Amino acid sequence: MPEPIIAFERVSKVYPGTEGPVTALHDISLAIGQGEFVSLIGPSGCGKSTLMRLIGDLEQPTGGTLHVKNKTPHQARLDRDYGIVFQAPVLYEWRSVRKNVELPLEIMGFPAEQRRERAMALLRLVGLADWGESFPWQLSGGMQQRVSIARALSFNPSIVLMDEPFGALDEITRERMQDELLNIWSAAERQTTVIFVTHSIPEAVFLSDQVVVMSPRPGRVKRVVPIDLPRPRRFETRESPRFFELVTEVREGLREG
Amino acid sequence: MRAMSSSLILNPKSQIQNALPALVAFVLVLALWEAAVWLLGIPVYLLPAPSQIGQTFGERPAYLLQIGLATFRNALLGCAIGCGLGCLVAAVCVRWRPLADGLVPFAVASNAIPIIALSPLLGIWLGSVSSASKVAVVAVMTFFPTLVNVYRGLMSPSHDALQLMRSYAASQRDVFLKLRAPAALPFLFTALRICATLSMIGAVVAEFFGGPQNSLGVYIKSQAGILRTREAWSAILVACLLGIVFYAAVALVERRVVHWAGERR
Repeated sequence: MPEPIIAFERVSKVYPGTEGPVTALHDISLAIGQGEFVSLIGPSGCGKSTLMRLIGDLEQPTGGTLHVKNKTPHQARLDRDYGIVFQAPVLYEWRSVRKNVELPLEIMGFPAEQRRERAMALLRLVGLADWGESFPWQLSGGMQQRVSIARALSFNPSIVLMDEPFGALDEITRERMQDELLNIWSAAERQTTVIFVTHSIPEAVFLSDQVVVMSPRPGRVKRVVPIDLPRPRRFETRESPRFFELVTEVREGLREG
Repeated sequence: MRAMSSSLILNPKSQIQNALPALVAFVLVLALWEAAVWLLGIPVYLLPAPSQIGQTFGERPAYLLQIGLATFRNALLGCAIGCGLGCLVAAVCVRWRPLADGLVPFAVASNAIPIIALSPLLGIWLGSVSSASKVAVVAVMTFFPTLVNVYRGLMSPSHDALQLMRSYAASQRDVFLKLRAPAALPFLFTALRICATLSMIGAVVAEFFGGPQNSLGVYIKSQAGILRTREAWSAILVACLLGIVFYAAVALVERRVVHWAGERR
């Protein structure tokens, strides 16, 4: 593996609780390479979302060291290295779809024309070119989440953090969104590093280069499963014997916890 | 945008349909009132019939409107001051939470207080005949609901919406202008609609405790005092009309500004 873009060394996160401190993450050591698609999977309470939030400097570790692009996560955030997609689309309802995608560009001071161009290009990429002037409430849940993804990618961040982005979608929409996500990621030459939090084993295996299997109380990394399925991954990938082997491997990793 | 423009075309029709029952009820009540006065022989000093009130209004509409507008001016000015200060303090509360913790509970509690009762005291401080005391009553009445509503609005963005801003390393100014302020707009208009009503009540009632001769409150009180109820009622009619106009104007601006919420209301 080349120089890791994200490096955890013995990182821990302890919350002060009413009945004594609660260890959300214990002794995490993990390296993620540039352009890797990494899924974090585990039962609720295993700290997978917390791990993602540590990377994005939305929370701070209480022990160990965490480097992102050889910087602190805080510096990386100030350098606008992160695009974030939450489980809810979190669109600003007073803004049109296009204006939502332009939001980060506006904050980062891009000129209007460039903002518009970039937003339209991304909306085309996520298949919503005709919806730019619509308002969020006019879109279905899946479409809203695509807008959210377009917004996260609009300023070309080197790292995209996704916190169960398809968790609220039905199974059929979900698989289609997975295909689209891989297409979008490939369109960026797979230069973007993606950290993807999920509780779906097939989803993690289908999307990822590495699946980080976590277990709760305290949250820790059980196993890292490399996924050697060839890319581009397609519909048939989900039916290949190797896919099932890897799903089984991840599932066993989860059971050990 | 497509659905929005079509809604602008479709809405007036459905609005008339929606308003029809209320309109029928209104006409029905007026007819009952009129009939009751004549059939039961209610003396005019107790309750004049709607037709009599209308006739009295018709005799001197210019004067009634003139004193109405004098009162309305106080209501408008007081409302502007109260709502303006309410927004300002709400914004400061967001930046400086201890102020919010200290102030907002009282602002909420003030809903239960008849602020109008302060009116005679404000009269002592600012001159009982002056407009200033009436404007002050209205300003105090409208300040608290605006503060409470706008503060709630400014605090309404979800944790994730704020985290998103954080992930962009957005400045405090951007968080306020691009997230908190637009999120607070529907709350502001809720406050303004409440305040439109309150300010007309405040302005008229404040004048009951003394005010310039040519104002609605003074006119209603003095005419009622000498049992000229038709005159009093025709002034009340003007107060109602102005109150409705104020409210409708706010609602109209709201539909324009808070367009994204229009479809779901």
